[in-house]
Amino acid sequence: MKEKKNIDNIFNEGFKNIEATPSPRVWENIQAALKKEKKERKVIPLWIKLSGVAALLALLLTVGDSLYNSSNTFVTPEITNENVEQTEKQLQENKSEIEKQVNDSHVASDDKMLQNDATQDSDASENNASKNKGETKSSKNNLINSSNKATNTIIASNNSEKNASKSKENQKKDLIGKNISKNNVEEGIAISKSNSEKANADENPKDKNESLINKDKAIFDTKKEAVVVNDNSKEINSEKSLVKTEEEIAQESNNKKSIFDAIAETNEDAVAKKKKKEKPEHRWNVAPNVAPVYYSSFGNGSSIDPTFADNPQEGDVNMSYGVQVSYALNNRLSVRTGVNNVDLSYSTSGIEVGTGPVAVALRSVDYGGKDIVVTAADKGSFANASPSNGFGDIMPKSTQGDAKLVQNLNYYEVPVELKYAVIDSRFGVNVIGGVSTLFLGNNEISVKADNFTDVLGEANNLSSVSFSTNVGLGLDYKLSKKFTFNIEPMFKYQLNPYTDSSVNFSPYYLGVYTGLSFKF
Amino acid sequence: MTLDELIIQCKKQDATAQGELYKQYNRILFAICLRYSPNYTEAEDNLQDAFITIFKKVEQYNGKGSFEGWMKRVTVNTVLQKYRKQRTFEIVDEGQIEDEAELEIESEEIPLDFLLKIVQELPDRYRLVFSMYVMDGYQHKEIAEMLGISDGTSKSNLARARMILKNKIEEYNASNYNT
Repeated sequence: MKEKKNIDNIFNEGFKNIEATPSPRVWENIQAALKKEKKERKVIPLWIKLSGVAALLALLLTVGDSLYNSSNTFVTPEITNENVEQTEKQLQENKSEIEKQVNDSHVASDDKMLQNDATQDSDASENNASKNKGETKSSKNNLINSSNKATNTIIASNNSEKNASKSKENQKKDLIGKNISKNNVEEGIAISKSNSEKANADENPKDKNESLINKDKAIFDTKKEAVVVNDNSKEINSEKSLVKTEEEIAQESNNKKSIFDAIAETNEDAVAKKKKKEKPEHRWNVAPNVAPVYYSSFGNGSSIDPTFADNPQEGDVNMSYGVQVSYALNNRLSVRTGVNNVDLSYSTSGIEVGTGPVAVALRSVDYGGKDIVVTAADKGSFANASPSNGFGDIMPKSTQGDAKLVQNLNYYEVPVELKYAVIDSRFGVNVIGGVSTLFLGNNEISVKADNFTDVLGEANNLSSVSFSTNVGLGLDYKLSKKFTFNIEPMFKYQLNPYTDSSVNFSPYYLGVYTGLSFKF
Repeated sequence: MTLDELIIQCKKQDATAQGELYKQYNRILFAICLRYSPNYTEAEDNLQDAFITIFKKVEQYNGKGSFEGWMKRVTVNTVLQKYRKQRTFEIVDEGQIEDEAELEIESEEIPLDFLLKIVQELPDRYRLVFSMYVMDGYQHKEIAEMLGISDGTSKSNLARARMILKNKIEEYNASNYNT
């Protein structure tokens, strides 16, 4: 029969309502993967992950703090031995207590996990055992399964169909045999033979075509039942093959590995697969970013002069911009570095401005060899001039409005940070922690009033290289596979910005870094 | 267990329900995987991945549309993820107008295993586009979006796939007449 058909229709009709049976291996692998996931989830609950992050942050802060403090103690060695001894004692006491607690909780949770594992494992082996039993049983009942295992293609039966089309007579027999086998596999071949004789008589040419079409699907559905039936058109043959398949089954079950081996194997497979999957597609990521940064201090001292400690001081908002490169260690964790230009500024008000000899001017300002300089002092100081404080040598300048001392700082920041994705989907939430090295760029101290602005000079108490500990939250939105929009509020605490550690000024800055990152 | 109950249990990650769901749908979904994969083994791998995704994401099924349809979409998506990365070198001929008559072909008893074989032999992208458009009823716009290609590329991929398949069927028919 020839017919012109659109190619789309051939495939569309051919594959409509088609089903195919995968090997049992697939389900075993799925089970293994699911089980593993459950275990993983159990072992690392969210609070442990979070506490891990918290511990990391705590570590960074303590390291930072101790670095900062160590320079403090170096200059002011006031701690007496008594104190040290006492605190050491206390520390030890605390330590042993903590250890005790930790041990207790360890034991408790370990026990629990062990129990869980044990029950899970026994469950699994039970399941598998019963499943295997069922399998052998079903394959005994069903000739198909055993014969299918050898041939790995689902539609092998179509080969028999091909043969069939060669001779009409054969085809007829075949067809009938197949149809009947579908209905009567369980009742046995003997009946099917007698039925086939009957059906043979009833068969007419019109029906043939129809059953031909049905055949395709029937074959698919019954998983190659026809293959067996086709070969066994004679009763004797069918019996033989029945015996044979039973033998095969017996052999197969002998060859089967123990359940435990099988479980171990599938687990290994699943692990290997998972590992492969966890590798991120694109490891490198480059992200230009820009951020408004707000500079402020924890301590209430002044970095310029101790006399300004009680003056109103406030940080200003400036800009930071730069580029970061990150490398994904896995799907969740990435390490990144880069370089940022950071401008910071800080103002001290409640001052008055004057001109005088450099000897009585601000100590922390490098005036660059000038003798008569512009300086500033706490409001009211000039009025209380006395020979001891030297203010008498200063010519006050009349300024309008509030005069301010402004310190501008410029750093080149090189961060090294870890970023961990807490939520990793289109919208992502990350926790970020790390340290930055800050290389001092330009810096200047100036005075500003409504009618007067003058640069005093550079601060001479700033470290040329300092560090900061950084923590932050990263929110991102994946615009496409490669581009991601980031917004990261970051908190950066400076560790040793001043060479003069008597300054009770612990600056930090807050920035909201926004940028577009590109993966490659 | 009704399907609704089964879904509820699967949402609770109940192992028995998952087994039942697999039992009921593995054959339908495997047929899809076969069409989208280059061979039997990879089709099995893909079925495995698809079911793991289904079990993981079943919570996201909100009851809109049939559950079977949802699972089919998840399956197709899972397979796409694996093969859409491959770049096929192609000549995008946007102006190509398909002559419907050219796609007519004598179809006498072409066995399914042959049809499946030639679909599987198509280059990855052609196979995906052809299966999506012809057998799963996706529109070019959707295909383009899901594969990250343009509408035009999708159309041209489909045309190329049809031509390859047509040639193979004709070869098959010719060899069958000779024998």
